[in-house]
Amino acid sequence: MPKVTIDGIRFDAEKGWTILEVANFLGLKIPTLCYNEGLSAWGGCRLCVVEIGPVGRTKLVSSCTYPVEEGLVVKTASKRVIAARKMALELLIAQCPTSKTLQDMASKMGLKEVRFKPKWEKCIYCGLCVRMCEEQMMAKAIGFVNRGNKLKINTPFDKASDECRRCGGCMYICPACTSRCEGPGAKDVLCGRCENSLQPTCMELNDSYNCWMGLKGDCGTCVTVNKKTN
Amino acid sequence: MKKIKTPAELKSLRKSIVDKTDSSKTGILICKSTGCSAFGADSIVEGFKNEIRKKGLVEKVEVKITGCHGFCERGPILVIQPKGIFYQRCKPEDIAEIVSKTLIKGEVIERLLYVDPVTGKRIIYEKDVPFYNRQKRLVFEHSGKIDPTNIEDYMAVGGYSALAKVLSGMKPEQVIDEVKKAGLRGRGGAGFPTGIKWETARKQPDETKYIVCNADEGDPGAYMDRSIMESNPHSVIEGMIIGAYAIGATEGWMYVRNEYPLAVTYTTKAIEQAKDMGFLGHDIFGSGFSFDIKIAKGAGAFVCGEETSLIASIEGKRGMPKQRPPFPAQKGLFGKPTNINNVETWATVPIIIEKGSQWYADIGTKTSKGTKIFSLVGKVQNTGLVEVPMGTTLNEVVFDIGGGAPKGKKVKAVQTGGPSGGCIPRNLFNLPVDYESLTQAGAIMGSGGMIVMDENTCMVDIARYFTNFLQNESCGKCVTCREGTQRMYEILTDITEGNGKEENIGLLKELGLVVKDASMCGLGQTAANPVLATLRYFQNEYDEHIKYKKCSAATCKEIISSPCQHTCPIDTEAQLYISLIAAGRFKDAVDVIKKDNPISATLARVCNHPCEGKCRAGDSAEPIGIRDLKRFATDYGLKNKLHLKVKASAKNNLGKVAIVGSGPAGLTCGFYLSLKGYQVTIFEKSDVVGGMLALAIPSYRLPRNILAADIEYIKSSGVEIKTNTQIGKDISIDDLLKQGYKAVFIATGTHKSARLDLNGEEAEGVLPAMKVLHHINTGKKINIGKKVGVIGGGNSAVDAARVALRSGTAEEVTIFYRRTISEMPAFKEEIKAALEEGVKIELLTAPVKLLTGNSKLSGCEFIRMELGEMDASGRRKPVPVKNSEFTVKLDTLVVAVGEQADSSVAGKTAGVEVSKSGTIIANPETLQTNHKRVFAGGDIVTGPSTVVEAVAAGKIAAQSINQLLKDQDIKREYKVTRPSAYLEPTVLTEADLADVQRPQPAELPVNKRKDNFNEVEQVLSEVMAIKEARRCLRCDLETKDGKKFMDDMKQSKKEKGEVVCQK
Repeated sequence: MPKVTIDGIRFDAEKGWTILEVANFLGLKIPTLCYNEGLSAWGGCRLCVVEIGPVGRTKLVSSCTYPVEEGLVVKTASKRVIAARKMALELLIAQCPTSKTLQDMASKMGLKEVRFKPKWEKCIYCGLCVRMCEEQMMAKAIGFVNRGNKLKINTPFDKASDECRRCGGCMYICPACTSRCEGPGAKDVLCGRCENSLQPTCMELNDSYNCWMGLKGDCGTCVTVNKKTN
Repeated sequence: MKKIKTPAELKSLRKSIVDKTDSSKTGILICKSTGCSAFGADSIVEGFKNEIRKKGLVEKVEVKITGCHGFCERGPILVIQPKGIFYQRCKPEDIAEIVSKTLIKGEVIERLLYVDPVTGKRIIYEKDVPFYNRQKRLVFEHSGKIDPTNIEDYMAVGGYSALAKVLSGMKPEQVIDEVKKAGLRGRGGAGFPTGIKWETARKQPDETKYIVCNADEGDPGAYMDRSIMESNPHSVIEGMIIGAYAIGATEGWMYVRNEYPLAVTYTTKAIEQAKDMGFLGHDIFGSGFSFDIKIAKGAGAFVCGEETSLIASIEGKRGMPKQRPPFPAQKGLFGKPTNINNVETWATVPIIIEKGSQWYADIGTKTSKGTKIFSLVGKVQNTGLVEVPMGTTLNEVVFDIGGGAPKGKKVKAVQTGGPSGGCIPRNLFNLPVDYESLTQAGAIMGSGGMIVMDENTCMVDIARYFTNFLQNESCGKCVTCREGTQRMYEILTDITEGNGKEENIGLLKELGLVVKDASMCGLGQTAANPVLATLRYFQNEYDEHIKYKKCSAATCKEIISSPCQHTCPIDTEAQLYISLIAAGRFKDAVDVIKKDNPISATLARVCNHPCEGKCRAGDSAEPIGIRDLKRFATDYGLKNKLHLKVKASAKNNLGKVAIVGSGPAGLTCGFYLSLKGYQVTIFEKSDVVGGMLALAIPSYRLPRNILAADIEYIKSSGVEIKTNTQIGKDISIDDLLKQGYKAVFIATGTHKSARLDLNGEEAEGVLPAMKVLHHINTGKKINIGKKVGVIGGGNSAVDAARVALRSGTAEEVTIFYRRTISEMPAFKEEIKAALEEGVKIELLTAPVKLLTGNSKLSGCEFIRMELGEMDASGRRKPVPVKNSEFTVKLDTLVVAVGEQADSSVAGKTAGVEVSKSGTIIANPETLQTNHKRVFAGGDIVTGPSTVVEAVAAGKIAAQSINQLLKDQDIKREYKVTRPSAYLEPTVLTEADLADVQRPQPAELPVNKRKDNFNEVEQVLSEVMAIKEARRCLRCDLETKDGKKFMDDMKQSKKEKGEVVCQK
């Protein structure tokens, strides 16, 4: 039973659990996108990153893929983690501004601007559809093709698939295929309608969100109103 | 073939092989590695075999193919044993001569020998070639000497005896201990301690374990591993067997990238031969240990060099990394404990076992032991593979072994570690090469690729190039890596195309840090290094591109259009007037030249042509003779009386302007302000007009009638010039302003000669260079004696020397300079002419004492210097050689050690500040001083510089003063460079292409130069000028705008039914 410390909480974890599973068990909220409990962990969206390691030699790892080990020290919401999550989300929204899932996460995280040219793509390569098709629907009809800036998800050689049963599992699980509140015609890159303009004050004084309830700025107890909306 | 079962059998087999070899027999070792094969080594091997058969020498001469010798710049390489004669750049045509002269007669063929560029001597034997004898070749010891396809060669030099030692009495733990004690660190890039890695794998309880050799070598520019596998594959195999024994592995894999067919061929053969010998397979050396190696080929993905992706690739899956833990040592290939090491690491293992861990640990630094192989490529003279002990400095590798950059260009930085690494600027080249110091400097050791970059390499473009590579090679899993590299590339492309914004830098840094922090594998974690490292050391280049739309290296096409126009400080459209000359339109060429240059005939003779230094034709041949062509055009203009005057503009009533100094800066400023309608007066201290042009540059370089013509042109604009009036003495600047001048431009230059600061400098015969030049150039008398010495190495020194020679009284003129000839700041053409005329140059010599008698100079005591440590600017500091003083009898000593500014012109005018060195401080962009109405430019601000820079300052000052007097904001606008017109390119015929030599303008013969100041350099003939102009590569047609012009032109020609040119 590896003993871990997560956000200051000492916990006796089960062997083989990931950091994300420990956090979920304890009620500590870590944002995810490409993670689904019923599918294998992928670790590609980088939104679930957490800071681990001894002071002075910490690194960021995706919590959904990192198995707990004895003596592990984890911080789920330090400055470094928040900066990484915000940038990853900014990159995702610049890729696919039409996804409600991404826009909701942006509002929650307090993302204020997207500084990259929007690509208006329809896929964010989170791989959920691939894993859904292979692991839950046992079809393995689609997969990753090429790499880098030519990456896409498709059937082998772009041919119509005999394995695909048209079950719709890929569409069901896809976070990009979620329509925004303004509908499919929305043209603005960042929606910001339900933007959380309240910002917790603890980040100004400490390296990490201080919330003992694990609500990480959601409850608004310790807030100042953001100067922009004043 | 009988299998070897015991170490004793190996020993006796080795002895029989060695005994069989006749070491007095002549042998030709021919490199047949990939590099030399590309140069035609295959046909050379065949050619030798045929020739030797023809001459009946088969019994006497052995033809042996070898792997890479390492000095790839000089391939095809062959070495003649037993003496070790080194022939380089051999061709099939040389074979017959080599056989008849060297093999049969024992004579050496001079032209095939390597010439040491420093000493100029020809080197006969391989061991004496400086490229080799400065290295410490451990891993490469036998490369280039043994046949990689013959296991007997490897055994003859001791191969497989380390394995024998291990399997006949060492326990696996002892082997691991040896490797740990040796301090071997992974040579793949990360530098993880190999012994600890092996120990972790050993501790795993699994019965089945694997070891893998990572021969993916994806870094562009790195080919060390390929070379090891092509030259000595058995060293890698032996290392793997030893490692497998230590870890307890049963199977080994070599993962070779598909782009290395020769390495795959040689290694496959080596594995077969090892199996035949019994070194692979069951019960090796009767120890009970069994092991076999398979080869897996990559499919062209850089990411598969990362270990978890590599494992996936061997398993037949997509090369995408997995989170670690679990580490491959715990759960790797096919789920079993796996130990992966780099080719060079494996090849080092037998050396450690053979020679002992202490012997190995004695080489290198405290934390980085042993040697490292670097592939030294890029802008370096001696391209090749270099093996040096850890701790060797970059200076030694790049300059002593590499020979510095070709064509005398200045080295700017090296890139280590490939696209995952970083650049190290020249001022850090005294860094020792080891893991820790390179990481601290922001780079990484990496696999050993070392790319040298010179002054013509744009660091922003380098970051863009590597980021492009990484965005293509990213596997695509992580958002930060996939999207991050694409967005970094997008921003860098914007910057290099002239669309950069100031926010880009902050965004690049923020994005880069997240890409580095949050990506899953090594590719992503280092993907931001090209950007972050160049931003750390070369942010000024980014700022230049963004703010000033300038690329100093003249590389980024969309910003520069053609390098000549972009580099010219006054924006002269060199490529346009060159194409007009090529088309025979000489008058139009004169128009284009005079449009941006008010003293064009003068500059056509004295400009230091920075354009030629960036000319693309100069990359592979000679740069276009741009100044020679400008001279051709301006001479044509003068002869045909084109544009001798301008039409003076109507005067506006915005005020009058005063200019102090009638040098190139002052004349230019006055010219342009007059054309804008201002009333301009230039105040000149001396009695001649022209500043340095009249007072310092001798008339054999710049004939006075040419200068006069340019001055007439300027005067025709309406500018007034008052000579014999010294501002700062007769009148102050405050006086000028009180007199109603609305603005003042100070352009007085640097005419004060710096002193030697030695006793006796007041003696008769010791003359400041400026005084000598001023007097002689204005026809005043000055005493030049018989034995003349000149101290200095710049243009003033060389001018003073050549002028002294023409004085009629000098018998001997010697220049004394404290450094070497390549460091003399004077123009190369001037130094060459001086030597031709009989000036002697004593290098590495400095004056220490002036000898006088009766207040007259009688001689000077000098001391010899030698080049010592490299200072921060990358130059070796000259240090005096003890007890090497010597005396030279001299009656005249010209002091030309530099010019200084005389800021007394500023007087006490408030706001006009003077720096410590005496120069006037002005805003570098607008040339305004802290006094609103006073501007300053040229040498008085920058210190001694060039004529064309002064003209540029004059233009900028005119613009700023115009804005001031029109009550506008005084600021500069920056745009990307574009020509004012495009011309159809010339079409070169086959005959043209066969004869592409740059013409040399004729010169006055040396014997006709002695007693006169007649112009030395002559103008090109019309035929030669047109021929040279046609050689221009027309870089302006390579931008998007240029390409559009070509498309439009081809389209309109098609419509008219005309013939379309091929370009």
